[in-house]
Amino acid sequence: MVLRIGENLNVIAKKIGEALKERNPVPIREMAEAEAKAGVDLIDINLGPARKAGAELMEWVVKTVQEVVPHIPLSLDTTNVEAMEAGLKAHKGRPLINSVSARPERMDALVPLAQKYHASYIALTLGVEGIPRDANERGMLAAEHLAKAAEFGIPEDDLWVDPIVLPINTQQIQVQGCTEFVMMLKEIAPTCKSTCGLSNISNGAPGHLRGILNRTYLIMIKRYGMYSAIVDAFDAEMAAICQDKMPGLEALVHKVMDGEAIDTTKLSKEEMEYVKTTRVLLGQTLYSDSWLEL
Amino acid sequence: MAFQIPKINYTGKIKEVSIGSGSHAIKVGGESCYPFHLFEGAMPNPPRVAFEVWDYPPEEWQEWAIEPYKDVINDPVAWAKKSQDTYGAELIALLLKSADPNGMNRDVEQVVATVKSVADAITVPLLVWGCVNDEKDAALLRRVAELCEGKNVAIGPLVEKNYKQIGAMAIGYNQVVMASTPIDVNLAKQLNILLGNLGMPDDRMLIDPTTGGLGYGLEYSYSVMERDRMAALTQEDVKLQYPLVCNMAHEVWKTKETKVKKEDNPKLGDEKKRSILMEAVTAMSLLVAGADILIMRHPDAITLVRDMIKELTN
Repeated sequence: MVLRIGENLNVIAKKIGEALKERNPVPIREMAEAEAKAGVDLIDINLGPARKAGAELMEWVVKTVQEVVPHIPLSLDTTNVEAMEAGLKAHKGRPLINSVSARPERMDALVPLAQKYHASYIALTLGVEGIPRDANERGMLAAEHLAKAAEFGIPEDDLWVDPIVLPINTQQIQVQGCTEFVMMLKEIAPTCKSTCGLSNISNGAPGHLRGILNRTYLIMIKRYGMYSAIVDAFDAEMAAICQDKMPGLEALVHKVMDGEAIDTTKLSKEEMEYVKTTRVLLGQTLYSDSWLEL
Repeated sequence: MAFQIPKINYTGKIKEVSIGSGSHAIKVGGESCYPFHLFEGAMPNPPRVAFEVWDYPPEEWQEWAIEPYKDVINDPVAWAKKSQDTYGAELIALLLKSADPNGMNRDVEQVVATVKSVADAITVPLLVWGCVNDEKDAALLRRVAELCEGKNVAIGPLVEKNYKQIGAMAIGYNQVVMASTPIDVNLAKQLNILLGNLGMPDDRMLIDPTTGGLGYGLEYSYSVMERDRMAALTQEDVKLQYPLVCNMAHEVWKTKETKVKKEDNPKLGDEKKRSILMEAVTAMSLLVAGADILIMRHPDAITLVRDMIKELTN
């Protein structure tokens, strides 16, 4: 099982962005209800930087959403610390802070809030030097997060470590570092949770091919224990994979990962696409936008 | 135990591409090892230098760049012939700079007439490089492909926006194409796939990885060319198994370091010697990264580079 955090309630979506600006609760409620119907485990509320009246906006959105879906915890996603606190204060139940990077000023501002409001938080493996270059750098940053959490008496399982998924089209080698780190995480911090901005893997790839990249990468990191992922709530096949309903497909991807010989003559077109995509994500085939056609 | 020199296990091979026709046709590519790793594989066709010729008198050139061509600089045909007959060029690269809409913006028919005269006057193979404006090149290079029928010229740069128009004509008239992408291995692969889908035969494609000069991005080109070759030779990436062409002269000779005179900055030393070395060092670096064809300017720089190729391939 991989918990799904629905990514669709996002300020960059035109309809949602307008609704947020106008404080129009209708599209916000509709999206929350639709995500709930699609069975997500958490709903991400992405307000971006929320510079203007961020605190008031976050409080309003949290209340608006919880009115219609009170049983689903929210993941509060903004870089505005004031807005974050307002959201935490308004939230009923246990929210998730999305996110805290490993930069000292971000940890100093947000970890005390997590402690105060008894919230879990997404611990980004993103430090002062920016995006990590390999699995080891991710490990170092995760360790910094764990130390900081311990300092505040926050239990390890309240940390959702995010390995920073990078786009396959420009960062193929770095994707392998991310995968490797997910493998290591269980050893570094056995009770830690994990999550990732999964759709970033396909950022920049042709629109109609993003789904297969997202799903294949999910199967790969699910194998290594990925606890949750921020995903498109309405990708039904993604939901099925997260809910362990596609064991055959997962076994196929695992075979490719293990380098086993595969009788491709027996595969359906869709299965063949998963095989090709796995090879790209493993770095065995150089990425190009037409990778499925080769 | 005796020391064993580690060897790379190559699984792929670069395709051989022929340019030109008749007894002066040349082949490039065919490598089964990294550049000059003759202890690990074969490099059946040595890298080649194409002498650059512009289709209008390049008044902006440094006088020490014009010097070897002073008597022919106003006539592309005479210029190409001098490069061939006096300097022993094995390849000519005709740059259609005059077509640039942001420059002289010469009419397509006027420009292709020059191409035809040059192609008819020389016996060595010809590379034709457009004005690097996607739209103009689409019209211009289509006509070049048509007019040079039977000569097996290499035309480019083909980019994502115009590869269909130019590619279709190149296929129809049996010309070679130079597929150009901005210093990115994934985009290079993608354009080659698209050209393949269009029906371009595998032995008619060259890769232009986009070249930076020494001190001006050479290292980026170098890394991408290295990655091209690694994918092609050790990861069986068939869509990158094509020879590499580097249009480098212009990148070198436009830099400040090739323009400042000794009298204005004595610390930089003699301007002619310095410029020639800038060009030769850029060329040598690109060869070591995997270049199969270099488009170069100064005969003295070319001599240095040819000597190096000879030493490394014998």
